[in-house]
Amino acid sequence: MNQVVTEELRTEIKNLIMETLGITGIKPEEIDDDKPLFGGENALTLDSVDALEIIMAIQRKYNLRIADQNLARSVIRSINSIAEFLVSEQGKHS
Amino acid sequence: MIIENYQHKMAAHCESGSITSLLNHAGMKITEPMIFGISSGIFFGYFHKMKSFAFPTFIVRNKPGQMRKNLEKRTGVKFFTKDFKNQTAGQEALDLLISKGIPTATQVDMFYLDYVPSWERVHINVHFIVAIGKEGDVYKVSDSYFPKLVDLPVESMNKGRFAQGSMSPKGSIFYPRYVPETFDYDKAIRKGIKKACFYMLSLPIPFLGIKGMKLFAKKITEWPAIARDTEHLSHEVMKINILLEDQGTGGAGFRFMYATFLQQASEIINKPELKDFARELMEIGDGWREFSLFAAKIGKNRDLGPDKFKQMSDLLYQRAGLEEDFFKRLSKTIN
Repeated sequence: MNQVVTEELRTEIKNLIMETLGITGIKPEEIDDDKPLFGGENALTLDSVDALEIIMAIQRKYNLRIADQNLARSVIRSINSIAEFLVSEQGKHS
Repeated sequence: MIIENYQHKMAAHCESGSITSLLNHAGMKITEPMIFGISSGIFFGYFHKMKSFAFPTFIVRNKPGQMRKNLEKRTGVKFFTKDFKNQTAGQEALDLLISKGIPTATQVDMFYLDYVPSWERVHINVHFIVAIGKEGDVYKVSDSYFPKLVDLPVESMNKGRFAQGSMSPKGSIFYPRYVPETFDYDKAIRKGIKKACFYMLSLPIPFLGIKGMKLFAKKITEWPAIARDTEHLSHEVMKINILLEDQGTGGAGFRFMYATFLQQASEIINKPELKDFARELMEIGDGWREFSLFAAKIGKNRDLGPDKFKQMSDLLYQRAGLEEDFFKRLSKTIN
C-alpha cells in the first residue's frame, strides 16, 4: 500500500465494496470519492448491514482491525475516508 | 454561555465516553477503556420473557448507572446524579449547572436528537450526551458519537430527556462532584476484573453472564414461534446486529473495548499475561462480529428458516464456551 491516497487505491476499495456486496451494474468511476456512501447521495447506497460487511472485508484484506464502531462509522463514510484511513494505518506500521 | 475549556472527544460508547470526558475535564487523566474495565462494564444478559420487553432481547453491558457506582467504589470519584419527574424542573436544573460552568451529562432517547441523520435515528432511551452550553433556545452538546460539538434545540432536548417507555431517561443528569488527586490503580483494576469475572461466571441468576449466553443459544430457536410474522421476526433478528455492533457498543458487544482495557491494565499492574488475554478477547470479539453479521444478513434477506436459527444457536453456544473458558482463566490469573 502506498503512503498517499492514489486513484489505484480508491479503485481497489470500490472493487472490494462491490465484490463484497455482490453489486453489479455500477462502474467504479460512477462512485463519487467524496460523497457519503450512506443516505442516497452516491451511486452506491449502503445500509448498516452493508457497513458491517465492508468493515470485515477491509479487515480481512488489509489485515487490520477496526474495533471501535464509531471509528468504523467515520472510516466508511466515503471512498476517500476509507482510503485515508488505510494510508494512515499503513503509516503507523511502516 | 458555552463552557470554553471543555474538550470534545469521540468515544466508543456513550456512557463510558461521557464519564471519561467529564472526568478528564475535571482533571483526572483516564481512558475510556480503563473506565469501562475498572467499572466492570462487560456483561451479558438474555431476557426471554420480561414485562418490560415485548420480545426477547439481550444486553452486553451492565445497566446504565452501574458503571458510575462501581467507579465511585473503586476510584473515590463522587458523582452528583438526579432524576426528575417534572420537565420544567429538569430543564432548570440543567440550565443552572451550565450557567455555573459545569458540563453535565444527561440521558436521552436518541430518536429526538435533531443532529443525528434521519437514517440513524432509532428509539434508544439510554443514550448519554454532555450539555456544555446554551445560547438562546439551543444547547451546545458534546455527543461522543459525533466528531464535533453539535447544537440541539431546547424542545428536542426536553423530548429526549423525558421520553417514555422502557428504561425512560426521567431527565437524568450527572456530573463528577469530587475527583481525587490520585487513586490506587492496581487495586481498582484487580477489583474491576474480579467483579467482571463474577458477573460473567457466578451470578446465581439463570439468564445473566455465561448462563445467559447459553440460554440465548437455547431459546433463539423459539423466536420464529414467538414473532407475529416474518416482518417482525426479521426486525428482531436484525436488532441483534444493532445491539452488538451498531448503537454504541464499543464494538463486538464491548469485547473489543474490554480487550483494550486488559492491554492497558497489563502495563499498569505489571502483569504481561493480560496482553495475551487481550489478544484472545479481540479474537472472541471477531466471533461476535461474525455472529452479528450473520444475523443481520439473514434478517435483511428474510432468510429465516429453522436451519438459520439452529446455526445462530450453534454460534452462540460457541461464544458461550469460549467466554466461559476465558473468564475462568482470567479469574485465576488475577486472584
